Amino acid sequence: MKLSTISLMAGAAMSTLIIASGGLAQDNVTVTVWSIDGANQVGPSDTFSAEFDEMDNGINVEYRILQFDEIVNETLRAYSTGNAPDIVSLDNPDFALFSSRGAFLDITDMVAASDIINADAYFEGPLNSVSWDGRLFGVGKYTDTIGVFYNKDAFEEAGIDAPPQTWAEFEDYARRLAKPGEGFYGATLSARGNEEGTFQFLPVIQMSGGSYENVNTEGAREWLSMVKGMIDDGVMSQDVLSLGQWDSTGTFNSGNAAMAISGPWEIDRMVEDAQFEWGVTLLPTFAEGDARSSALGGFNLGIMSTTQHPEAAFEVLEYMVAQDDRLFPEFGYLPTRGDVELPPSGIAQKDAALEVFLEQLQYAQPRGPHPEWQRISRAIYDALQSALTGQMTPDEALSRAQSTIDTIVN
Amino acid sequence: MGRILSSITDGKGFDIIMVGVTMAFLFALAGVPLVYNVVMSFQQVDMFNLNTFSRPFVGFDNYVAVVNQPEFWLIIRNTAIFVFGSITGQFALGFALALFFMIKFPFAATIRGLFLVSWVMPGLVVGALWGWILAGDFGVLNAILKAVGLTERTLFWKSDPNLAIWAVTMANIWLGLAFNMMLLSVGLAGIPRDLYEAAELDGANSWQRFTTITLPMMRATIGAVLALGLIYTLQQFDLFPAITEGGPANSSNVAQYWAWQWSFVLFDFAKGATVSVMMLVFVLVASIIYVWSTRHEVRG
Repeated sequence: MKLSTISLMAGAAMSTLIIASGGLAQDNVTVTVWSIDGANQVGPSDTFSAEFDEMDNGINVEYRILQFDEIVNETLRAYSTGNAPDIVSLDNPDFALFSSRGAFLDITDMVAASDIINADAYFEGPLNSVSWDGRLFGVGKYTDTIGVFYNKDAFEEAGIDAPPQTWAEFEDYARRLAKPGEGFYGATLSARGNEEGTFQFLPVIQMSGGSYENVNTEGAREWLSMVKGMIDDGVMSQDVLSLGQWDSTGTFNSGNAAMAISGPWEIDRMVEDAQFEWGVTLLPTFAEGDARSSALGGFNLGIMSTTQHPEAAFEVLEYMVAQDDRLFPEFGYLPTRGDVELPPSGIAQKDAALEVFLEQLQYAQPRGPHPEWQRISRAIYDALQSALTGQMTPDEALSRAQSTIDTIVN
Repeated sequence: MGRILSSITDGKGFDIIMVGVTMAFLFALAGVPLVYNVVMSFQQVDMFNLNTFSRPFVGFDNYVAVVNQPEFWLIIRNTAIFVFGSITGQFALGFALALFFMIKFPFAATIRGLFLVSWVMPGLVVGALWGWILAGDFGVLNAILKAVGLTERTLFWKSDPNLAIWAVTMANIWLGLAFNMMLLSVGLAGIPRDLYEAAELDGANSWQRFTTITLPMMRATIGAVLALGLIYTLQQFDLFPAITEGGPANSSNVAQYWAWQWSFVLFDFAKGATVSVMMLVFVLVASIIYVWSTRHEVRG
């Protein structure tokens, strides 16, 4: 009896020793990953980080969720105090702020030697947003763009058989669809005073021949007058000035607006919430056959240059890229590369919407890249808001934005 | 040695240690950041030289640039509306409520206590609540205004440039009301009852009693409440991101939110510091008034 107790204890001690030495021998490295995935809903970065962490490969992944509004600030603070994460996922226009100043690791050579990451497979827009001076500083995580969602039931009721193809049709239809007395708007969008406002307005500037460096185009002025007229006449809610895209499209889902400008991240919720038939069409152009444009959204992944474990971090990055084929089926996100098959989901509306957004992506143009993108963006959304509230004429607002932008880009 | 020891445990040494600890604490946590902020406003600072001290000196360039921003005067105007609107509203309503609760009626103290709920709630929560109340198409306030027939059209509190700053001011009045009421109630309670009784015997009516007894006796309290109100209002930040984000087009932007935007949206930390140094001057004036108005209390 006594003997068996001793042997049991010895056995326990032995096994403790083995576990301890096993841990020592492996000498795990820890890679920290920061992203906004998981803040609102389960996303790719949190899921893939957890999966990689569970693998027995000597690398642990520590994942931290940040809010959209604070991830750039937190990363800045962490970087300047020497506590930066190994991998961080940023909105694509914020990426150049870091890559242009060497805060992201130059992974050009690592990618060239990698069997998993192939730089040539990426779409041009996302690739541009992770490049600086011809070098590669990250990879696109997922991408998105905007189009026009429309309520097919409302269209049918108003006797309109096809979604708008030009901005003139967009206005005409919206005016015919709106029922101001009943709180039913013809259209909704987001002209919020932050990046979302720029995201939705810049494509209009671009399709009328401008760019972020040259914003005062005739088309942009026309568009601002058109939207202001719609707000003044109650065809569009004045709250488009303060609503973000998610909330703005929420009013469409609940049947209070006939059209909504937004992106593919809305699809899953719309399938659940919308009690009507809906469809998606490309962002209108000024005249039929004119050049198209749309916004390029989405997040990138980069390794911070201060990392102690570049190889391990790159392995984590490779694992995440290798899961790109799961982005759409599991999370509703579009991959940033052309060599990933998107299987049909079986939900007719979702698959039809996906097709439109994939076509729209061909016209999507990145914001920047420019290390002072935030200041350029502010000039653009300030102009948008000044013109839509009538504080300035479209020409005054855009000229002021132009003179601010001139001091930044020159 | 024994003398020093005994002085530390009981005597001048003890006083010096007590004052010294407080001063060291103040210096480390208020003095150094304050000076650092002022120094930053004369430098060129971005995220990549944030952690070094050797940054290019630019003299008054930041100040010139801030004043020359097209939105500068709009933000000054908004800050003035927000500060004076909030203080006036908080003080007038707070005083009225404080006087009301001086009347003895059942549960007066309990109900007065319940008013503190608004004061203990975090600003972001209050902001989110008011964000819903003030929403244009589905807001509670619009529903009420329409139901009682005050307005036919929808008022876009958060998106109309003529209303936005007033919307945030309204929320801030609600937030600071209880604090004003409490301080003023304390002041009212400190006025001796017999003064009122004597005045009543002399035939003073209630308005005369208010202007000749209540107001003069409350002078120090009122000065303190107004000065603290100014400081708290200039500090009020949470409501802005939660309700209007300073928009539309800066029409509800105020100095404190602007300073934050410079630093943490545009990453121009020097200009953010510049705006806050400008505000510091204002707060300093308020603090001097506050200290001056409470000088009797300290000596009494």
